[in-house]
Amino acid sequence: MKTKPRSYRFWNQQQKIAPYLFIAPFYLLFVLFMGYPLISSLVMSLYEMRGFQSRVFVGIGNFTDLFRDPIFWKSLWNTAYFAMGTLTLQLPIALLLAILLNSKFVKGKNVLRLAFFAPVLVAGVFVAIIFNLVYDQRAGLVNNELILFGREIGWLNEENYVMPAVILTGVWQWAGFNMIYFLAGLQGIRQELYEAAAVDGANWWQAFVHVTLPSLRPVIAFVFVVSMIGSLQLFDLPYILTNGGEPADAGSTIVMYLYKNGFQFMRLGYAATIGWVLFFIIAVISIVQLKLLGIFRDE
Amino acid sequence: MFHWRIDADSFPLGKGPMVMLFLFLISTIFIFARSEEGGEKLEFWIFANTHFEEYQARIPIFEAQNPGVNVQLINFGGTMHDKLLAAMLSNFGAPDLVEVEITSIGRFLKGAIDEVGFVDLRPRLESEGWMEKLVVSRFTPWSYRGRIYGIPHDLHPVVLLYRDDLFKAAGVEMNEVETWDDFIAAGKKATRDLDGDGTADRHAIVLDRRTESDYFPLLLQQGGGFFDEEGNVIIDSELAIETLEFFVSLFNEHEIATPVYGTWHGDPSNFAAMQDGKILSILAPDWYVGILKSQVPQMAGKWRAIPMPAWEPGGRRTTTRGGTMIGITTQCKNPERAWELLKFTYFDRGGLVNRYETTRIIPPLKSAWDAPIFKEPDLYLGGQPLGELFIEMAPDLPPRYQNPYWAEGADLLNDAIFAAVTEKQTPRQALTALAEKVRALIAKDQGRWGNM
Repeated sequence: MKTKPRSYRFWNQQQKIAPYLFIAPFYLLFVLFMGYPLISSLVMSLYEMRGFQSRVFVGIGNFTDLFRDPIFWKSLWNTAYFAMGTLTLQLPIALLLAILLNSKFVKGKNVLRLAFFAPVLVAGVFVAIIFNLVYDQRAGLVNNELILFGREIGWLNEENYVMPAVILTGVWQWAGFNMIYFLAGLQGIRQELYEAAAVDGANWWQAFVHVTLPSLRPVIAFVFVVSMIGSLQLFDLPYILTNGGEPADAGSTIVMYLYKNGFQFMRLGYAATIGWVLFFIIAVISIVQLKLLGIFRDE
Repeated sequence: MFHWRIDADSFPLGKGPMVMLFLFLISTIFIFARSEEGGEKLEFWIFANTHFEEYQARIPIFEAQNPGVNVQLINFGGTMHDKLLAAMLSNFGAPDLVEVEITSIGRFLKGAIDEVGFVDLRPRLESEGWMEKLVVSRFTPWSYRGRIYGIPHDLHPVVLLYRDDLFKAAGVEMNEVETWDDFIAAGKKATRDLDGDGTADRHAIVLDRRTESDYFPLLLQQGGGFFDEEGNVIIDSELAIETLEFFVSLFNEHEIATPVYGTWHGDPSNFAAMQDGKILSILAPDWYVGILKSQVPQMAGKWRAIPMPAWEPGGRRTTTRGGTMIGITTQCKNPERAWELLKFTYFDRGGLVNRYETTRIIPPLKSAWDAPIFKEPDLYLGGQPLGELFIEMAPDLPPRYQNPYWAEGADLLNDAIFAAVTEKQTPRQALTALAEKVRALIAKDQGRWGNM
C-alpha cells in the first residue's frame, strides 16, 4: 500500500489547525481580559469583601440591598434624565446642524464642520473644568451674560439645575460628533429620490418626512443606540463638574455610584452588582430601541 | 514537498503584517531582556505634586548615603489610591513605601486586622523613641485597633485668615476676636450689600455647605467626631448637633457666611470672589495658605491670621483639616530599609525646613520647630510670622479618629450638611438619620461576617 508523503500529511494537518491559530490571539485576549473578568464579576456580585484577602457569600443580598438603596435610585434617575436629555435635545440638534451643513445655502461648510466637531477632541476633564467656570453662580458666563430666569441660577449648587447643566454640557461636547454621522447619512441619500418627490409635488417638509428620515433610519438607529449606551455609562463629566456628585447626590450617576462603592468604600461585591444591573438595563434598552427602529426586520 | 520560506511574498498576509510581526518579536525580546537596574530597589508611590519636587531633590542624597539602594519615586497623582487598592487586593504590585491621604486611608483598614496591607509601625516608633518627638494626636488618623499604620506627614493646624483692610474699614479689630460669638458680632458689622440690590455680596466668612470640609473641622475643634476611638458612631451626639446648628446659623440666621463660590475652596471662582472683596475670612489650614500664595499672589499683604475663634473663652483655638501619611506595605521585601527611607524623608530636620519653604506645611516633628525659618515674617501676610502662629497652635490639635467606614460616612455627611443648610431637614433630623444609616451599614456587615 502506498503511504501518503509526510509533507502532504503536514499540509493537511496545518490546514485544519491554521484557522484556529489565526483567531487564537483574539480569543486568548478576550478570555483573559473580558471573559474571565465578566464571570469573575458575576461571581463577585454574590459575595462581599470582608477585607483585602477574604470575602463572604451573601447570595442575592447585594441585589436586594441595591433595590432598597435610595442613592442607587437617585443615580439611576439622574442617568435616565441625562439619557432623555441626550435623545430629546442633543440628537435633534445634531440632526439640525447636519441638515444645515448639507444644504446648498450655507457658506464655509468645512470651517463650520470643524468648529462643531472640535469639542469632542477636548478631553472630558477639561470640558468639565471649563464648564465649571461657565456655570459659576455669581461670576459664570451663563448667569452673567444670559439672565434667563430673572435670577442667578445655582447651576451646580441647586439640586434641580445640576442635571440640566450636565445635559447642556453634553450637548456642547457631543452634538457636533453625532452631526458627522447624520451628515454622512444625508450625503448618502440619492438625489433622484428628492427629484421624484418634487415631481410628485412634495414640499420640503414632506420630502424631509418621507425621504430624508426613512433613508436615515440605519444612521439614526446607530446614533441612538450608541448615544444611549454612552449616556447610561456617564461618569467623568458630572464627577468633575459636580465634585463627586454633590450637592445631595444631585449629580450622581450609576457608574459614579459604582466607582464610589468599588474604590472609595471597598465594597466590591456591591459595585459588581451595580455593574450587572447596569448591563441588564443597557441590554434591554438597546434591544428595545433596535426593535422599535426596525433594525431586526428583514429588508 | 512543503517548504516554509520566509520572505515578504510568501508570508500569508503580505508585507505589512510581516513587518508588524517582526516588530512585535523584536519589542518582546527587548522588553523581556531589559535588565533590571542593579542593587536593591525601593518603590515609593506618592499622589501630591508638591511632595514630588521635594522628594525628587532629596532622594539622591539618601541613595548616596546607602550605596546599592535604588529608590524609584512614582507620582501617580489623584489615581494613586485606586492603584494601591488594586495592588493590595491582588496581593501583588504594591510599592514598598506609599503616601496616603487622610480621607482615603479608611478603606484600606477594612477587614480582619491581619489583612490590612500596611506594616504596624508602633513597635519601631516606641523602641526608637519617636512617639514623644512627634505630636501624638496626629497619629489618630493613621491608627486603628491599636496599630499605627502611618507616620503623619503634617499637622495641618487651622487658623482664621482674614482681610485686615476690609474688617478695619468696617470698624472691626479682628485681633480682639476670641470666641465665635465675638466673630458673629464682628461679621455682622463687616457683611455688606455693596451693589444695593438688597442681598449681601460681601460676607464675613466663606464656608463649604456641599461637603464636610468646614463643618467637620469645626466639630473636631469642639472635641467631637464622626467615630470615637472605639469605632462607635457619634455623629448624632449633642455636640455634633449643636455644631451643625451653629454652622447653619452662620448662613441662615446671622447671614454672615456665603457658600463657597464654585464647587470647593480651591475653585478659580472662589479666588476671583476673594479678589473682588466678597470674602472676608476663611478657615485656613497651612496647606491652603500655600495654595493661596500660588493661585492669588496678587493678594499679597492683604491677609492676616489669628487663631480660630474658640467655642468658649479659653477654649481650643484651632482644629485640623486634611493630611497625609507615609506607610510601609506588607508587600515590602525589606521593611528595615524602607523604614530608613521613611525616617530620612519624614524625620530629617533639614528636609522638613525645605518642605516648609516650598509648601508652607508645618512638620509634626517638634524638634524642627525652632528652625529660624518658622519665625520669618511672611510677606503674604503683611510680615506676620505665620509659621510661628501655626506652631503655637500645633500642640493643641484635636484627635481625629480613623475608621474603615469613613468614606461611606463622609459621603452621607455631605448630604446631611447640605440638607440642614438648605433647611430641608433640621440639623438634629439630618444627623440622627445619618447616624442611623451608618450604624445600620456597620450592623449589616457585622451580621455577615461577625465582629472584627
